[in-house]
Amino acid sequence: MEPEAQGSGTSLIKTVLWLVVLILIVGGLIIYGKKGGEEKEASKEPIKVGVMLPLTGDGAPYGEPARNVYLLATEEINTAGGVSGQPLELIIEDSKCNGKDATSAAQKLINIDKVQIILGGFCSSESIAATPVAAAAKVALFSPGSSSPDLTGISPYFFRNYPSDASQGKVLAEAAVAKGWKKVAFLQEQTDYALGVFKAFSARFTELGGTIIKEEVPSNTIDFRSVLSKLKTANADAFFLDPQTLPVAERVFKQMQDLKWKPVLMFNDVVGGAPETLATYKDLMEGALTAEFTADPNNPKFTKLLAEYKTKYGVDLLYASSYGPTEYDAVYLIKTGIEAVGNNGEKFAVWSRTVKDWEGASGKTTIGADGDRIGGHTLKIVKDGKAEVMK
Amino acid sequence: MDIVPQLIANSLIAGSIYAILTLGFNLTYSTAKFIDIGFGVETAIGGYSVFYLCKTLGLPLYFGIFLGLFCSGLVSFLAYRFIYKPLRARKASGTVLLIASLGVLTALQALVAILFTSQFQTLSGLIQANRVFELLGGTFTAVQLSIFCTVLILSVLLAFLLKGTLFGKAITAISDDEEVAKIVGINTERVMGEVFFISGMIGGLAGILIGFDTGIEPIMGLSWLLAAVVAAIVGGIGNLYGGLVGAYLLAFAENFGIWKISGEWKMAIAFGLLIIFLVWRPRGLFPR
Repeated sequence: MEPEAQGSGTSLIKTVLWLVVLILIVGGLIIYGKKGGEEKEASKEPIKVGVMLPLTGDGAPYGEPARNVYLLATEEINTAGGVSGQPLELIIEDSKCNGKDATSAAQKLINIDKVQIILGGFCSSESIAATPVAAAAKVALFSPGSSSPDLTGISPYFFRNYPSDASQGKVLAEAAVAKGWKKVAFLQEQTDYALGVFKAFSARFTELGGTIIKEEVPSNTIDFRSVLSKLKTANADAFFLDPQTLPVAERVFKQMQDLKWKPVLMFNDVVGGAPETLATYKDLMEGALTAEFTADPNNPKFTKLLAEYKTKYGVDLLYASSYGPTEYDAVYLIKTGIEAVGNNGEKFAVWSRTVKDWEGASGKTTIGADGDRIGGHTLKIVKDGKAEVMK
Repeated sequence: MDIVPQLIANSLIAGSIYAILTLGFNLTYSTAKFIDIGFGVETAIGGYSVFYLCKTLGLPLYFGIFLGLFCSGLVSFLAYRFIYKPLRARKASGTVLLIASLGVLTALQALVAILFTSQFQTLSGLIQANRVFELLGGTFTAVQLSIFCTVLILSVLLAFLLKGTLFGKAITAISDDEEVAKIVGINTERVMGEVFFISGMIGGLAGILIGFDTGIEPIMGLSWLLAAVVAAIVGGIGNLYGGLVGAYLLAFAENFGIWKISGEWKMAIAFGLLIIFLVWRPRGLFPR
């Protein structure tokens, strides 16, 4: 009888499990159905806009606030009557901060959802990989965060309202030379964005007579100790940290503290735009140089964005001064563009080049003929855990 | 400045974390005989439990660590009870179990990301100033020292558990031959459940220590697991103490390897080592 009893025991567990699954499915359907009912306020056919951003992986810390900003702006637009009377609908895909996933996300958005405009990618790798896909389908790709110089003039279908890193690397190289630094230790994460910063920096710095000792690390590196030990023994005048994402930067800073290494620091706007990180590693940062593209804190549109984000999501907007405003503006630029030329990727891309002195949360936006935002990074110095504009 | 002492220190730190993970990994591998990728996620479960209990709720650290270990053990046990056990009862192959465990890893790390966001977190704020020691030109922190000590304590504890207790004898019997163990009256299902619980706790312990040392992320599991698997294969898969040697060998190879070549090759060194072993010594340094 023993095996029999056991058998009925497992079948009971199985029944219970199936019941739980059933309840979850039915419950989920009910909740989902209700949700759908509530959202069907504007009865007109929505305008679908594709969105690509990193929602998982190391890029996710940027993707999450970006998605919130997009949804916030879309909600505002729809409450105010939508885009020429039609509601705006975002179809969000996870492009994971890498080219492979961005390509499949773009293909899905173009072929299945039939979008004309894609908002994204966020990471440069995403935009570089997705541009040919978008261009082939005559879909406009509009990035509010990709800053690799390789994207300048890449395609008539690509444009961005975030400036290229060419200016970032150049500004920092000139500042380093002005400080009298001859030798810089450089740690670069292996991504298109970070490589873009390195190329721009190294071109200008070596032109002005400096030398660079460079190490590269893959994005998923956790243990930097030996790479850092190696750079430490190079006895350089300064250490330039060039990560793609904040987790990488924080791991490096933490391990620099463990190694008791306190060099003069320089870093890209990933670190410069993260006030919490600057405050946490205050001792390490004093006098560090960074170049950042920032919104004017007195711009009313910018302060309104910050306040509304806080009300809606209950937390402060991360990367508030750099990506937040460009992301917010991007949704409104799409609205303006569609109202001007209709929901057509080709016309929208042509229209984008005519944007001039458009007032938004990130200040005045002007897009050049090469698809880049005109205007760039300003040099900043870290004092007492805060990045200040260098005088 | 001489770099060698620091490289030795770095290798010992990295090796110690690999060693803890390899112990946990080998424990389930030697009994259940499949590569449990889901083991990787226990690091995140342990780390985030402590993060939530101590940083968000403000519970005392010892209590948080204790509960964190319990949580990761429990998750590992539940994964066994509701996923691996039914599959094994149906005589699923190792590949099926491996894929199922990959599912466990993916689902649970997504759950952690939903609950705690994907932001990078550290536990280091929970302890007062992490002292930095210097020895012969190499630096290491108090946390890193305790990671090293944890390996020693854990190895001794496991040795006692396996050699000195009836439970340990049951584990040894199952890893020799599960069928025979069942015939002689060992409740293999129960022992297996307990083994998964213990290995989950070891994974959680590693995650907590990683949280204090470098920091935690929901997706941390896979990369740590890969290191543990490489270390286990190098040391002789399923052999607990071979795994320890494998872990330190891997760490030394990685850290000294990038002394002369660029740091971007670190992963390549690890997997190069794996390939060398798979081709020339597939059963590892100390085959079981």
